[in-house]
Amino acid sequence: MLPLPLKRVSEMLLGIDVGGTFTDAVIIKNSSIIKHTKKPTTHGRLLDCIVTALDDVLADINSEVITRVALSTTIATNAIIENNIDKVGLMVIPGPGADLSCLFPVKPVCLSGYTDHRGREVSAVSDGEIGEAFRSLSKQGCEIFAISGKFAVRSPRQELQVAEIINKQTNAKFITLGSSLTGGLNFWRRTNSAYFNSAIWRCFNNFAQAVELALKQRNVFAPVFILKADGGTIPLEVAKKFPVETIFTGPAASVLGIMAMTLPEVPTVSLDIGGTTTDISLWNSGVPLFERKGIKIADYPTSIRAFRIKSIGVGGDSYVRWENGKLEIGPNRLGPAMALGGSSPTVTDALIVAGAIQFGDKKQAQVAMGQIAGSEMNVLEASNLVISCAVSKIHNAIITMVKELDLEPVYCVDDIVSSEQFKPRLIIGIGGAASGLVPYLANIMDLPYQIPCFAPVVNAVGAAIAKPTLEVNFRADTEQGVYTVAELGIKENIPSRRFGMSEAYNMTSKYLYRRAEQAGISVDETEIVHQEEFNLVRGFSTVGQILTCHMQIKPGVLTAISEMAEVNYDK
Amino acid sequence: MTSKLGLVFFPAFDWAISPTHPERQERLLYTRDQIVEEGILDLPSIKEYKPRLAEYADINRVHIGIPNIASLITDAHLVSAGGAIAAADAVLNREVGRAFALVRPPGHHAMRVVHGTRGFCTINIEAIMVEYMRRHYGLNRVAIVDTDVHHGDGTQDIFYHDPDTLFISFHQDGRTLYPGSGFVEEMGSPNAFGTTVNIPLPPGTSDEGFHEVLDHLVLPFIDDFKPDIIINSAGQDNHYSDPLANMAITAQGYANLAKKLKADIAVLEGGYSIEDALPYVNVGIILAMAGLDFKNVIEPDIAKRPRQSSSTAKYISQLVREWQDIWRNRERLKQQEKSKTGEFWQRKRNIYYDDSGLNESQIETVRICNECAGYITIATEAEGYSFGAKSAFVGVIPRNSCPHCSAAVRDAVLAAKRIGNYQNYFLQDKVQDIFEKI
Repeated sequence: MLPLPLKRVSEMLLGIDVGGTFTDAVIIKNSSIIKHTKKPTTHGRLLDCIVTALDDVLADINSEVITRVALSTTIATNAIIENNIDKVGLMVIPGPGADLSCLFPVKPVCLSGYTDHRGREVSAVSDGEIGEAFRSLSKQGCEIFAISGKFAVRSPRQELQVAEIINKQTNAKFITLGSSLTGGLNFWRRTNSAYFNSAIWRCFNNFAQAVELALKQRNVFAPVFILKADGGTIPLEVAKKFPVETIFTGPAASVLGIMAMTLPEVPTVSLDIGGTTTDISLWNSGVPLFERKGIKIADYPTSIRAFRIKSIGVGGDSYVRWENGKLEIGPNRLGPAMALGGSSPTVTDALIVAGAIQFGDKKQAQVAMGQIAGSEMNVLEASNLVISCAVSKIHNAIITMVKELDLEPVYCVDDIVSSEQFKPRLIIGIGGAASGLVPYLANIMDLPYQIPCFAPVVNAVGAAIAKPTLEVNFRADTEQGVYTVAELGIKENIPSRRFGMSEAYNMTSKYLYRRAEQAGISVDETEIVHQEEFNLVRGFSTVGQILTCHMQIKPGVLTAISEMAEVNYDK
Repeated sequence: MTSKLGLVFFPAFDWAISPTHPERQERLLYTRDQIVEEGILDLPSIKEYKPRLAEYADINRVHIGIPNIASLITDAHLVSAGGAIAAADAVLNREVGRAFALVRPPGHHAMRVVHGTRGFCTINIEAIMVEYMRRHYGLNRVAIVDTDVHHGDGTQDIFYHDPDTLFISFHQDGRTLYPGSGFVEEMGSPNAFGTTVNIPLPPGTSDEGFHEVLDHLVLPFIDDFKPDIIINSAGQDNHYSDPLANMAITAQGYANLAKKLKADIAVLEGGYSIEDALPYVNVGIILAMAGLDFKNVIEPDIAKRPRQSSSTAKYISQLVREWQDIWRNRERLKQQEKSKTGEFWQRKRNIYYDDSGLNESQIETVRICNECAGYITIATEAEGYSFGAKSAFVGVIPRNSCPHCSAAVRDAVLAAKRIGNYQNYFLQDKVQDIFEKI
């Protein structure tokens, strides 16, 4: 058993995960799952399955004692896939540089004006031009807007100026500012994020209100949180302003579920092996690794942070067949395993024949493997071939992922000279086909493995226990005597004459607490994601410093789940 | 063939020559900000690469470090040379169509023999990359176009006797700027005469003059030379805002140059207008090399750009005509050079290492050979405050050496050692790719 360093809290946590196939709900009390349920997801009417799952899991429980509700949903993702989005008036202040105007999801109105890399206004935005842009977009039917300026994270003033003018118009319903979503550089990504945030705003808010009402009707008065792709939660009230943050949370929920059940201290590969796909993530020092940049939405790169997850088309229900003399696995799923009444051979059938898992109709599994075996081999040989083929696909994806991590650019000499390659030392498997496939994979990779329990509702567990997170990016330019906190729309003068990294750190921390307070969440533990310190030298003397500090409330879980799997060394 | 651009971006945020030196941590900070903010690293036509560490063998293929290269360089140099090598690998493995090694520290003032650091350079990252490509990918003819404002004297020195490397440098006239060389008369030693091309430009040259030289000299010369690969030593200090020089080139001027030159690989060299020029020049070059539109890449302070005077324009047109004449007659001039030289060509030089504060005196001898590029011997001695004196006698066997030259240079080094006037004896064998301390 691994130690359980996480504290146990006496809370009653309700977690709901709306997945592609099933909607799960769990109730966690004193670090154990006291109730869980699984209902089919009702596409198009997501509220229905949420309500059904809620009613099931809350039956014979006094729902007033629930202390926190957390939700992981596909509402934002679906809104985009189903094109249930609003027309957005996109206004950008691109300044000089690359011409990206054809690369945004919609054609933007480009405003003149420019803020440079130090946050200095090089040329102003004209109020007349803004008004004209607004009128032309309203004429096209836009009530919802997104505003994004190049280097707005270095000074949000021009974005705020545009917003102020639009806000005065009565027919402007909602505005997203690029710099309010992230303090990180990347105008293209921020603009895309701002666009999608506005595009799904109405759909998400309708959903959020319906969820709030449904909970109230069931006497659940606890605060409601919603999961983000980076594995943190934000209060539903905050999510109403930043709905784009709630996109792509399924894999994050599964990673958090793992975090709740086990704490891998060594470099680890975790696998969520479902019916059609396997989601792979990498862990270091007990923390899942993040994507270096944000995720893509509808093929547009955004600034939305997420765990580093690679998804491949291999799962328990993957369709197995010969094609041009080659054994092919997935990425399609034609139906369940033949052992479970399906009509085509699957990986699960192979695992049943090989004796790796025991369920379903073994005779039907043998029929399935008979189709693969043909006259060349017996059914057992066929099942071994299928398993080794599936396992090597997963193995190759892991190798690629580790290689990609190793090839990630770094900008300091020390990071190249002292960099160590990521070498996994443990495999953790969850999901339906994990118990069958993971031992084989562990054998090839010569690594120990764990299969934590409660795997069937792991995503709901992950959502239930995910800690709230927020971040701020602080940047001080002591030559100019100013600092910015983009997420809060702040650009102010540096208070003291002596201002170094430790002062910057304190200010960052102060603003993170302030932002958390505004959002109504408590700060448990903070961490510095990234910091930089540069001397500004002009004419051979140091005239100031540029200090940046990106700080966040450390993502993690509120409580560990005490039921743990044993570590298996029986390779 | 892919048209993608590979970008090896390595700003070395933890390396400086000294805290307030132009080569300091801050140099590419604003370039990083601009590149990342533009989002161009996310474009499908641009792929970012990580540098690797160059190996000492890669460096010893080009340089002779006295007393050894390891004692003269830092890890940062291994990374920047490794960055240029990573760019070459990406192109030659056909992962990308071209590559830009936007790396530091720079290298084009580093000569064959290295006693220390001069002009911010210790090892020549382009030359290391070129010899790496020849060794590992079998390339032969290489054209290097140095667009830094300072004469690329290090690169010139390394390829001065190599008829398979066309080195073209256009730069601010050496009478007005460091390193004070790069005149038209420096055209290569007799075996390689006409493969070194220097085009010294008057201060105040603008995009018009720059492109006149490019269109009428550089591009036609490259066409005539028929290289296997084109390298751009992409210094950016011809910019009108550069604090260390006096030219008037804009980001558009540089980007248009990159578009016309179609270099397979560009390697950053100098450029010290870190806020007003580098962010825009680099974005311009990246977009141009990736085949993307760069018309909006315009410096916010473009109004400050000086105009090129009519006398400068006239001077440049005259220079262009002179060079066209020389180029037409280069074969005849080469034969003249060869016939007036005996078996050996020799030059004596003093080389100043401004960053290390030392003086080298060097006698370089090349055998005039009709079978190969001819072997080289170098007798070198340097004096500096910190170490007193250090000296070496070096023999170089060229890449396609004839058996006679290979044997003769070894004998020459052994003979020098027997006399024993020097502290170190080295043989750099480019045929077998061996670097020997004799």
